Amino acid sequence: MSNYRFTLSLTRVFIYIVLFILLIVTIVPIWLLIVNATRSTTEIQQGLSLLPSTHLVENYNILLGKGLNLPRGFMNSTFLAVSSTIVTVYFSMLTAYGIVTYEFKGKQIFSNFIVVLVMIPMQLSIIGFYQYMSRLGLTDNYAALILPLIANAGGVFFGKQYLESMVLRDLIDAARIDGASELAIFHRVMMPLAIPGAATMGIFAFIASWNNFFNAFILISSLDKYTLPMLVQTLRGDVYRTEFGAIYLGLAATIVPIIIIYAFFSRYIVSGIAMGAIKE
Amino acid sequence: MGFPKFKKEYYGYLFIAPFIIGFLIFGLYPVYNTLALSFTDTTLMSRNADFVGLANFERLFADDVFLNAVRNTWLIWILNFIPQIGIALLLSAWFTDTRLKIKAVGVWRALFFLPNLLVPASVAALFFAFFSFYGPVNQFMVRYGLLPEAMHYLQSVPVMRGLVIFIQWWMWFGQTVIIVMAGMTSIPISLYEAAMVDGATASQMFRRITLPLLKPILIYIFVTSLVGGMQMFDIPFLLTDGRGSPNSSIQTNNILMYMKFASSKGHIGAASSVGVLVFLMTSLCALGIFYFLGENENSNTGKSWKNLFKKKS
Repeated sequence: MSNYRFTLSLTRVFIYIVLFILLIVTIVPIWLLIVNATRSTTEIQQGLSLLPSTHLVENYNILLGKGLNLPRGFMNSTFLAVSSTIVTVYFSMLTAYGIVTYEFKGKQIFSNFIVVLVMIPMQLSIIGFYQYMSRLGLTDNYAALILPLIANAGGVFFGKQYLESMVLRDLIDAARIDGASELAIFHRVMMPLAIPGAATMGIFAFIASWNNFFNAFILISSLDKYTLPMLVQTLRGDVYRTEFGAIYLGLAATIVPIIIIYAFFSRYIVSGIAMGAIKE
Repeated sequence: MGFPKFKKEYYGYLFIAPFIIGFLIFGLYPVYNTLALSFTDTTLMSRNADFVGLANFERLFADDVFLNAVRNTWLIWILNFIPQIGIALLLSAWFTDTRLKIKAVGVWRALFFLPNLLVPASVAALFFAFFSFYGPVNQFMVRYGLLPEAMHYLQSVPVMRGLVIFIQWWMWFGQTVIIVMAGMTSIPISLYEAAMVDGATASQMFRRITLPLLKPILIYIFVTSLVGGMQMFDIPFLLTDGRGSPNSSIQTNNILMYMKFASSKGHIGAASSVGVLVFLMTSLCALGIFYFLGENENSNTGKSWKNLFKKKS
């Protein structure tokens, strides 16, 4: 028995070492980014450091001086992410509620179709989408990035999983007896109850929009509408060639808000990932 | 319950109508439009376009550029997926093992997942800065004598390919751990207890109980990772010059599509043909894997996946 215990604790030590190595690999690049955002270019060129320095404001002024409008990009990204979140959550919940609550012909086919849509690489139709939007005069317009989210298959899939786990039937029937209309039941009975699920879906929608580079890069052209990932792309340009501190600060500015959101909502996010995948 | 049947049906359609309309306008029509454009010589610069039949597709196969991009994309995806799923299975097995009692599982898992949430464009630019000639990687390597002198990483094919593979792995292994773990914890403990009574070893239980019951989840991870991987863009695009340098070694499907789109004349007809072929290749592989691997499933957890393509009686 003691031999068994010894082997077990040896295994445990080995596992913690592996976990620790993986943790370093995961965290060190992010930590270096944040630290370097506070160091001057000279300090960065002198060598590595894991401790922050005092040049944050200086780096920020260099960025602004080079014409990188970080506050503007921040506002654009925030506006786009908030609008995308509202559209995704509302319409995904509406669709999911329709599937879960009502019996109708073609319901099963529609449900299956949603799952297939999640697996289809829709991004590859971006060229046809771009040309179509330019015919409608919607290129360089955030509407082209927000409106497609009315039909967000991933959101509907998640919403359906979530609503199926709730017992709504009795409440819906009670509201009907009180004479509430079907849409009012959705708004006043279901939505307040589904806030935890809607919040989880909203966090994912927000992050997806915040991180989206490809679609915005293709559809948006004027500099004053650039989102943060698009500004990151301009940071790669020659103007910033030697301003390492400023470059790191620009990158840090795009990811720190996400890290803060994660610090508060990591439990929702982790359980949301698992819920989106498991289907009983 | 006292409600006329037609009314309920009608409301069901009403609730899903916005989705269907939105899908037709912003989902299906763009797919059709991309397909239609791929048979024309449309450019962004001219109003007139002619139907050219399969000429765009013939041109894609006339030289090695398109096939090179497809090969790169597959290579990068496969080499990131194998360690991703391997490490996820290993970590999940450790995290769920009741004898090992690993502490703070939730914290480990949450930290490993963090890179997945970061702006991919920023991650690419970050690693570009790390691996640039005067960057921290060269500083480290030279100072500790691991390299005799600073190296131009951004011009090395194996280093850049390896780096894209590493970044993709780095961003996705944490998510895979979460999903695999969720699958493992949904397996009834009684199965393991029964196996332990019968004297099964840990590896026997892993192969005979865990893996078969995990199959639907593994297929899900496999397919979603494949679909994402075939559309890989941000990381290889921003890691070097936006053309998949060095030597087009990290030029992926979407980078090639973008290059045709952003070429001086804006050959959107030609760009569409890339989109169409990759769309077909990816969808067929995804649905094929899903169908053939899912079909032989006989566990309970696999039921819904298995029934997906079966006609509902």
